[in-house]
Amino acid sequence: MDADFLTDLRAIVGDSYVVTDPVARFAYRQDASLFGGTDAAVIARPASTDEVSRVMALAFRHAVPVVVRGGGSSIYGQPPGVPGENLLLDMTRMNRILNMNPQGMTVTAEAGIIMSRLQHACNSAGFYLFVPAAPVHTVSLGGWLSGAAGGGGIWWEIISITAVLPDGTVVRTGGGPGTHVRQTEAYSRIMGGPDFTGMFIGDGGSFGVKTEVTVRLLGLPAVTRASILVFRSLDRVLDLMARHVARVSPHPFDPLLVFGPGANELFSADGSGADLFTVMALMQGHTPAETDARRDAFEAIADELGGGHTPELDALAGMMSRAPDQESEMEMFGLGFFNGLGLAAWLPFNMPRTRMAEVYPLLVQWREERIAEAGRRGFECQARFEFMAPSDQCSVTGEVDAFFKDVPSLELRAFVREMILDYQKFTHELGLLDVYNQGMMSRLNAACWSDGYRALYSTVKQAIDPKRILNRGLWLERPPEPGV
Amino acid sequence: MTDPLQSLRRCADTIYSCRSCGMCGNKMTAKVPYVCPLREATPGFDHFYARGKIVIARGLLEGALEMTSDLAEAAYGCMLCGNCMTQCGATDRATAEPLVDTVRIVEALRADLLRVHPEWVAEGYRSLLAATRQYDNPWGAPRSLREKWCKGLDLPRAPQAGCDVLLFAGCTIASTPALHERARKAVQVLRAAGINPAIMGRDEPCCASVQRRIGAADMAGDMVRANVEQLNAAGCSEIVALCAGCANMLAGDYRTAGLKARVCHIVPFLAALLEQGRLVPRNAYPHAVCYHDPCHLGRHMGIYDQPRAVLRALPGLSLVERTATRQNTLCCGAGGGMRVFESGTLSLDIAREGLASARKAGAEVMVSACPFCEINLDAAAQVLAEPMQVLDIIDLVHASVEVRG
Repeated sequence: MDADFLTDLRAIVGDSYVVTDPVARFAYRQDASLFGGTDAAVIARPASTDEVSRVMALAFRHAVPVVVRGGGSSIYGQPPGVPGENLLLDMTRMNRILNMNPQGMTVTAEAGIIMSRLQHACNSAGFYLFVPAAPVHTVSLGGWLSGAAGGGGIWWEIISITAVLPDGTVVRTGGGPGTHVRQTEAYSRIMGGPDFTGMFIGDGGSFGVKTEVTVRLLGLPAVTRASILVFRSLDRVLDLMARHVARVSPHPFDPLLVFGPGANELFSADGSGADLFTVMALMQGHTPAETDARRDAFEAIADELGGGHTPELDALAGMMSRAPDQESEMEMFGLGFFNGLGLAAWLPFNMPRTRMAEVYPLLVQWREERIAEAGRRGFECQARFEFMAPSDQCSVTGEVDAFFKDVPSLELRAFVREMILDYQKFTHELGLLDVYNQGMMSRLNAACWSDGYRALYSTVKQAIDPKRILNRGLWLERPPEPGV
Repeated sequence: MTDPLQSLRRCADTIYSCRSCGMCGNKMTAKVPYVCPLREATPGFDHFYARGKIVIARGLLEGALEMTSDLAEAAYGCMLCGNCMTQCGATDRATAEPLVDTVRIVEALRADLLRVHPEWVAEGYRSLLAATRQYDNPWGAPRSLREKWCKGLDLPRAPQAGCDVLLFAGCTIASTPALHERARKAVQVLRAAGINPAIMGRDEPCCASVQRRIGAADMAGDMVRANVEQLNAAGCSEIVALCAGCANMLAGDYRTAGLKARVCHIVPFLAALLEQGRLVPRNAYPHAVCYHDPCHLGRHMGIYDQPRAVLRALPGLSLVERTATRQNTLCCGAGGGMRVFESGTLSLDIAREGLASARKAGAEVMVSACPFCEINLDAAAQVLAEPMQVLDIIDLVHASVEVRG
């Protein structure tokens, strides 16, 4: 790497926030995926939009490839950039809350902030963000918007994004200061021009480096009621889901989670429940009366469809319920729970709700065939976990994961990596997409793009990043060999 | 030819249990302001916290990364406090034990580095080992000074008939004149409860905790094997350790190696004496006190309630808790040999944060139960704009109960 470049980089972010030694760099060769992190020549931890702007201008002048990393929580890997030549920007030093605006009900934070830290700040001010599927303790706000916002629940709550373009230009989107020079408050996403905020959501970080984000806040629901029932047939579950979303929006106050037979087996003390679906509805509200009424309405429909109660599930629902001024200590399905199940073959899906009955059994069948193959190779599947949730009225997001007994074996890791990749190829053939625009997934998604969509992306990318320095390897480039 | 990665290879199971999710560096809840104090006190690159270290360990095992001198920063930049293991949450479903044992992994990383390339390890660590070879004491105090703390107390020397309790002072207390009074107070408190403990005096061995933590696994193993024989020969049924590091080592490695005596740290021992009514606190201590859970005693031995029970038993004392307390406590900054790393500046930075959080909780006094914590917290407290008193639980118990000289 050019010595002048390094000297200038150190001058911008500070000497101690730049590393080039092989050990420190190697630590970034891995993220939460089996597909690997980034092989970087230098890593920097910038502290502000201004620093990022100056760093990008420097990289643009020197044509140095740049890869941006948030919490490193991707399950599909990171953009490869140009292995061995990349400047990796670790954004997690940019973790400040810049403005909590309780009257305007917005929060502006730096994009490197980890979601749980942002959520905690919002909760402390009486608000919350609805991020049901986010691994909140590991994913950064910027990473979530770049890689997973399509299915993550908060995409519509994003009002404004400050991003640094590959040449160092700082842009701000959204109705407010970005589109109106006499406005100081970000208040609406779509006023005053095209929805360029949306352009930066799900872009995999390929259009610009997100540095600041303004998010619309929801009042913290003080009351939670849970209702948990079991069903013997998927059809009944889907009927319930359809009637639920026709009545209320599952986002953000009435989420519905469905757990499949494998998950039930894990939850039960004696391993039973392998032929059941469990439906968990959360009603979040501001008064007990209002919330109780919503729970009663849901349970009436569920009863009509044959949902069953058990004492254990009723007790669990009781534990999850929260009255005003009571804090429920229960944190369900933290990442630690999944990490303890074994080496994960994450097998997520996102599809039109109307296709669930047809497609879901095919996904489970595909998984079972691959688990049988694993068994023939001596790899033990020790857990299955299925869940699905309507992410809005139209679509369903979920997973049919398998967890393998972990052994220090590169063969097992290669098998699981292939399983994830093949599963995604299979789901793409079925017309599905995953919510994640990260690493290898972005290239699979791009392979299904229509000509027009491809042309649109290429035109925008070429205009913004003519030297193709930012997050190279996403979307249209040929995939590299996977993993560390 | 000896495998240069033999220690790491023995940890392969736990290394490969890590999913690299990053929770160990990023988790935040109302009770966990952050996970890794070192990440907060440094420029915060991934190799400063557990995920990066484990990725590096895997890289070494798989031949994707070679040992270089830069490895020392990743290996020794860790307090071995274990908070990352607690917050990770990945546990064995059958045993509920943590699946990712970062402490074991980092100790193994250090062991391989120290064995293969000792020249890359900071001189300060190697000095501790040289002192151990010469004096059986990492702090370099000769044996003749080991019993200086108990001069005039007329304590029986083990083995001696009728002495069931062996008081194990440990190298740090025995070698630090400022801590001698603490040990003398412990004896006086025990005597007030009718217990006249035995000591090993100049024959008391080093427990090998420091050596194990800084990577001298072979040396520590040899010391443990020899010491178990010596301790078993001492004939006491219970060893009461004044130092949290010694207590953790004696209750762990020594037990595995065949130590027969029960092991108890002085604080739970005092808690039992208070509960039995053998100690009666009388003098009031009208101050707001924050208890700092030493990592050795808390996360590593699971002792959280007894220190608090002792403090609550003292008249007038009000116990305040920081946001991060008990199993979420943030290390004082002195664990894992950190006072040697970068000349101890990071240790002091971390200790200052700990004191600031105690003050924020309303504490006037910080109390702990480990000499390492106290030395580090006290050093940090001296340079605060508004100094804070740092004491040991023994100091408070001693001041409250009636003791004879």
